[in-house]
Amino acid sequence: MTTATHAHADHEHHGPPSGLKRWLFSTNHKDIGTMYLVFALIMLFLGGASAMVIRAELFMPGLQLVQPDLYNNLVTNHALIMIFGAVMPAAAGLANWMIPLMIGAPDMALPRMNNLSFWILPAAALMLILSFVVPFFPGGGTQINTGWTLYPPLSLQVGMSMDFLIFAIHLLGVSSVLASINIIVTIFNMRAPGLRMMQLPIFVWAWLVTAFLLILVVPVLAAGVTMLLFDRHFGTSFFIAAGGGDPVLFQHLFWFFGHPEVYILILPSLGVLASILPTFSRKPLFGHHSLVGAMIAIAALGMIVWAHHQYTVGMSLAAVKYFMIMTILISIPVGLIIFNYMMTMWRGAMTFETPMLFTVAIILMFSFGGLTGVMLAVVPADMQYHDSMFVVAHFHYVLLPGAVWGLFAGVFYWLPKWTGHMYDEKLAKTFFWLHVVSFNITFFPQHFIGLAGMPRRIVDYNVMFTEFNMISSVGAFFFGISHLLFLYIIIKTVRGGEKAKARAWESAQGLEWEVESPPPHHTWTTPPTIKTA
Amino acid sequence: MMSRPEYPPELRRKNVKLALWVLVIVILMFITAVPFWVGLFELATGVR
Ligand code: HEM
Ligand SMILES: [Cu+2]
Repeated sequence: MTTATHAHADHEHHGPPSGLKRWLFSTNHKDIGTMYLVFALIMLFLGGASAMVIRAELFMPGLQLVQPDLYNNLVTNHALIMIFGAVMPAAAGLANWMIPLMIGAPDMALPRMNNLSFWILPAAALMLILSFVVPFFPGGGTQINTGWTLYPPLSLQVGMSMDFLIFAIHLLGVSSVLASINIIVTIFNMRAPGLRMMQLPIFVWAWLVTAFLLILVVPVLAAGVTMLLFDRHFGTSFFIAAGGGDPVLFQHLFWFFGHPEVYILILPSLGVLASILPTFSRKPLFGHHSLVGAMIAIAALGMIVWAHHQYTVGMSLAAVKYFMIMTILISIPVGLIIFNYMMTMWRGAMTFETPMLFTVAIILMFSFGGLTGVMLAVVPADMQYHDSMFVVAHFHYVLLPGAVWGLFAGVFYWLPKWTGHMYDEKLAKTFFWLHVVSFNITFFPQHFIGLAGMPRRIVDYNVMFTEFNMISSVGAFFFGISHLLFLYIIIKTVRGGEKAKARAWESAQGLEWEVESPPPHHTWTTPPTIKTA
Repeated sequence: MMSRPEYPPELRRKNVKLALWVLVIVILMFITAVPFWVGLFELATGVR
């Protein structure tokens, strides 16, 4: 455990510049963190809107609201906006805000590059949105009907909107890579004197591992979509069988990125939980080094299991066996983290403020999603489950609890630090229950309709699936509405409320609680003194 | 008005140097994506 003695910064009177300039030219990690979080929230609502249309269409069999191509365009856009627009930027927002505070650094290592990483995002989002709307204009070509996986040959046949999308992915990739470089350099070079790597909070470690994953896999996605672009416009045949290429090659490239990507989405959130659990269990983390080891193991294994998404393309028996065994092995380090967190709560003096409520729900429901993951990892079983609504249920159970709720938990946990105000606990708990219950109503039935044979990414379905789809859609509408409450709570907290102390939660540990709430514009200009107790 | 802390020159050099090293990994991953990660794997397992 590390403790700090107060070393007050002497430059605190330097406030932020005022007006638009403060944000446009910001090199301040707190302001950039805020912009990332606000951007992510806007994208959450955009992505959510497309999900509402999808569930409205699936409320009944037959075509009611949207045509098949538009339906698939919505599915594609929903996934890409949620992954690249909402979850990743929100996690980057937490990283920007918290890593310098947690390691006693005055700012990120490369503050101007930090500004660039963020401001690429709105441009990328614009391209992403254009890829959705361009087909509605005369001469705009066909809609993107591939899903977020962009498999050829379909993605070679889509009109110009695919080019907008490829450009959007390039921009998003540049933004992530620059942000990751910044995070890696900050963690290695900017720690307060005496703060050793193994003393870093798990959240910082989780982001370090995530940043390395991003560095290793985002360039491969970039290469894949670049080859797609070349096949589309410059006469190459990387993925065209008639020219000697192979569409399955794209699947390997995509999933070499795609599977590590799911760990990129969950690791920062799992890191957040390691901050929350000790605070509300009033006990130190059960194991610190073992968590670091488990995260590194997850990242390493996560990079060599990608083809479990392609069991049905006809790989050799040796290959599918390899991918099956490695995939199932990942449940060992994942399980280790879950048990570590349960042991942290064990016999603790627990209280259940909203961040802790989310944490407990995550441990229960993320584990459930992990279990369906192990089912999918088994080759003969996946031959049946593949491309069914069961897969949709699986990844929503891992992604919402694993990634999104961890981010919500982190936002509630650190909101008093950021704003200087306590949020309204009663409203937040209402949000928690509404959100979590309606989430389960939405996605639990999808396991059964999937097992019964309803395919994913299809606009219409057999009448025998009607009832469960109706339940799912009704759940989804409540789920959607719950986010308005979230927005209200955030706005209310920013505007006022009970004043938060520097240490907003009585037993919270870590350097971030040594500075005032809200922190001055510049913190740790004089680094804290680290004492090892 | 100072909006960015001025780091000492040695630290700035150290930061830029590490950043460039990481960028080297990025570029290597980009250009070796196909021949290495996929090609090697295909050779080893006969998977396509
Ligand atoms: C023990 C852990 C896990 C195992 C064994 C596992 C296994 C699998 C398998 C085999 C598939 C492919 C199913 C198919 O298409 O037929 C799959 C799909 C998926 N998984 Fe997991 N998974 C695990 C954890 C996770 C986590 C933690 C996440 C995200 C945070 C995740 C996100 C996804 C997504 C997004 C898909 C669908 C991708 C698509 O086709 O669009 N999984 N999982
Ligand atoms: Cu996977």
